[in-house]
Amino acid sequence: MLPADSSRRLVAELQGALDACAEQEQQLDQSLRVCRRLLGTWKPAGVPEPEPSHEDPSPGAPSPQDLKELELLTQALEKAVRVRKSPSKTAERAKVPNQKPRTKAPTAPAPPQAPGRTSSHTSVTRPTRSSHQPKVLTTGHQEHRLRPAQERATLGTGARATKPSLGDPQVTSAAPRGPEVFTLKEKGSLLRLPLAFQKTVSQNSRLWAQLTSTQASDTEEAAARARFLQKMQAASGRAAPGLSMAQVEAEVGTLRRACWLLRLHMNNETAAAPADWVQEYRRVLTLEGLQTMAGQCLRRLQELRQAVAGQQLDPWPLGKPPQACPCRGGADANWKPQLLLYSSTRELQSLVAHQLHTTMLAQQLHLQKVLMAELLPLVRGTPSPSRLALCRAVHSLLCDGGQHFPVALRDEPAD
Amino acid sequence: MGRRRRRLERQAGAGAEALPEAIAALSRTLPTRPNPETFRRAKFDLPEAAPALWRLLFHVLLREDDGTAVPYPEAQVRLVKSALRAHGYPRPALTQLPEDGSQGSRELLLALSWLLAGGSLLGRLLTRTHVLTGDQMPMCEIHQYTQGCHSNQSLGHLSAAETELLRDPEAGQQLLWRLERENGRLEAALEWRRLEPIFWQWMDTVLGACPQCPSDTGPQPTFQAAISDRGHEELELVTRELQALWQELQLAAEARRTAWEAQVQIQGLELSTPQVLVSEAMVERQLATLRQAWEQWGALPHGPHRLVRCESRALPGGGLWGTEAIKALRSKAACLEAELHWLQGQCQQELAGLAGALPEVVWIPPHGH
Repeated sequence: MLPADSSRRLVAELQGALDACAEQEQQLDQSLRVCRRLLGTWKPAGVPEPEPSHEDPSPGAPSPQDLKELELLTQALEKAVRVRKSPSKTAERAKVPNQKPRTKAPTAPAPPQAPGRTSSHTSVTRPTRSSHQPKVLTTGHQEHRLRPAQERATLGTGARATKPSLGDPQVTSAAPRGPEVFTLKEKGSLLRLPLAFQKTVSQNSRLWAQLTSTQASDTEEAAARARFLQKMQAASGRAAPGLSMAQVEAEVGTLRRACWLLRLHMNNETAAAPADWVQEYRRVLTLEGLQTMAGQCLRRLQELRQAVAGQQLDPWPLGKPPQACPCRGGADANWKPQLLLYSSTRELQSLVAHQLHTTMLAQQLHLQKVLMAELLPLVRGTPSPSRLALCRAVHSLLCDGGQHFPVALRDEPAD
Repeated sequence: MGRRRRRLERQAGAGAEALPEAIAALSRTLPTRPNPETFRRAKFDLPEAAPALWRLLFHVLLREDDGTAVPYPEAQVRLVKSALRAHGYPRPALTQLPEDGSQGSRELLLALSWLLAGGSLLGRLLTRTHVLTGDQMPMCEIHQYTQGCHSNQSLGHLSAAETELLRDPEAGQQLLWRLERENGRLEAALEWRRLEPIFWQWMDTVLGACPQCPSDTGPQPTFQAAISDRGHEELELVTRELQALWQELQLAAEARRTAWEAQVQIQGLELSTPQVLVSEAMVERQLATLRQAWEQWGALPHGPHRLVRCESRALPGGGLWGTEAIKALRSKAACLEAELHWLQGQCQQELAGLAGALPEVVWIPPHGH
C-alpha cells in the first residue's frame, strides 16, 4: 500500500521510537534491581581468599600518618597478643580486617575496642596504586596483607555496621554489635563513604566551583577572545551575519512553543462560560492581551525571516540543533552540574510521572508529524475507489491514536 | 586579583615558554585529547594534522554522547562543515576544503579557536561528560535511609550509586576512576584559563599566516541546497500557525468585548477605576507568567541533575526545587498536548474533506469529533 521509500522511513521512525522505549525500560529495570539489592539485607560476602595484587588497585595511597598509626596499633596488638590469652587473640584477629582466612576467627563477633582506631587502621588498607603492595607488620603469627581490592570479610570486625569498601567507611562509635546481616533501613544513616571517594568527590566539586567562578570574572580573556573574533570576521572578507541559522532555529522553536501556549490559553478563556461582569471584563482583557502577544511573536518571525532571506544560511545538518551544542554566547548558567531538590516521596513520584508523561507526549507529537508528512500526501494522491478505505485507516491513525474508526456509508441512490 | 595580574604580566613576558603549557592544558581538556603537536603543525597548515582536527571538531560539534555512532571520515567532514556554517562561521575557505579530510589543518585550527572564543565551549563539553555520583532515577528509600551520613552537608544523604559503591567496592572502583579522570580534565581546564591570553596571542600569528581571503563569491556545495529548505519550512509553518492563531484571537476578543459592552449598557453597570486597574494588573501578571513559561523552557531538568531529598526549604547552595520543576513540566506537557490535538484536528478536517468529496459516501467520524 505504501511506496517503498515511504514505508522504509516510517518503519525506521517507529523502530527508533520502540527502541527508545525499550532502552528506558531496561534502564528502569536495572536501577530497580540495584535498589532492591541495596534495600535488602547486606550479607557479609563469604570468606574467600582475597585476590592477590594483580587486581585493580584501589586508589589513594595511605598517608604517612596512617602508616604510623597502623604501626602503633599493630605494635599494641602484638603486645596484647603476647599478654593475653586465646579468646582475646580471637577478638583481635577478628578486629584486624585484612586477615587471611586461615585464621578461623573472621566471622566471630568482636568488641570494637577502639572504633576510632579501627577506622583509621582500616583506612590504611587502601594500598597504593601501583601493583606492589606494601606489607604491614605482623601481629604475632598473622600476616596482614594490604590487599588492593577491599575484601568483604570485614564484617568480621567488631563494627558490624562497617561495610566492606574502598578503605572501609568510618562508622560512628555507636555501632552496635549485631547479627551478621545488615539492612539499609536500620543502619543506613551510620554509613560513611570511603575517604578516598569523599576526597575525590569534594575535589570534583571544588574544581567545578573554581571553573564557574573564573568564567564569571575573566574580563581580560573575554576581551582577548572578542578581539580574535573580530579579526577572524574582518579577515574573512564578509560582513558579519546578524544571526546564525542555529540561533534562528532556536528562536523559531521558542516561538512555536509560544504559539501553542497562547492557543491553550485562548481555548481556556473561550471555553469558560460567561461569568459575572467583572470576570468577563478580565476575560476580554486576557484575550486582547493574548492577541497582542501573538502579534509580537509574528513581528519577531518577520524579522527572522528577513535575516534568513538575506543570506545563504545552511541549516543544522541533522535536522535539529543538539542541546549540547556549544552555541555562541549561549547562557552559561546551565553548564554547571546542578541539584534537583525534592521534599517528599510524593513529590518525587509526581516529578517522575510528569517527566515520563512529557517524554511520551513529545514522542507522540513527533510520530504524529512524521505520519502526517508521509500519509496525507498518499491519501490525497490515491484515486477514488481505494481512497475511502485509506481514509478510514489513516483517520484512525492520525486523529485518534488508533483508538476508533470512522464509519463510511455508501449511500446508494434508491431506484 | 593582584596576584593574577602579576602572573599574567609574568606570562606575557614569558609568552614563548608558556605556550606549550597552554596548548597542552587545552589538549587535556578537549574530548579526543589531540596531541599538542597537532596544533603546532596546524599553524603551518601541514596535512598530517588535518584528520585529528576533523575528528575533534566532529566530537565537539555533533557528538552528544558516547553512544551515538560515528560516521566514516568523509561524512564527518561534510557534517562538520555544515555545522560550522550553521553556527555562522565566517570564513569561506572552510567550504572549499576537500572532503577526504586530508587538508585544511590551519583552517580547522582557526575554526576550533573561533568556537572557543565564543566562550562557553569548554564548560559545555565538561558538563556533557560529567560523571554522575548522584541519582537521576528515583531512589527515594535509599535517600531516606541514608540521611545524615554524607560528608557533603548540602547533600545530606547518599545516592544509590554511592550506596552501591559501599556494598560492592570493586564495582565502585570504576566510578572512582572516572571521577579522577574528570578531575584531571577540570584541572587542565583551570590551567587553560590561566594561560589563555598566550594562546590568543599565538592564534593571532596563525591568522596572520593565512593568505588573504578573496571576498566570498564561491558557489555553495549543491547538497546543501536540498536541505536548506527545511529550516525555512519550519519558519513558514510557525508563521502560518501564528497567523491563524492571531486571527482567531482577534475574532474571539472582538466578540467578547462587544458582548460585554452590550451587557454593560443594558444593565447600566459601570466599572470603577480601581476595579479597572486591579483587573488590568491581574491580567498583566498572568500574561507575564505565560511569557515566562515559553522563555524559560530551558529551566527544566535536563543535563546532569543530582536528586537530593531535602525536607527543609532552606538549603544553601541552591538548586532547582522539585515543585518548580513540576510546574514547568506541567506547562510543557500542556503545550505539547495542545499542539497534538490541534494537529489531530487538522488531519481530521482534511480527511473528512477528502472522504466527503467522494460521491455517494456518508462519512461519520467517531464520536467526539
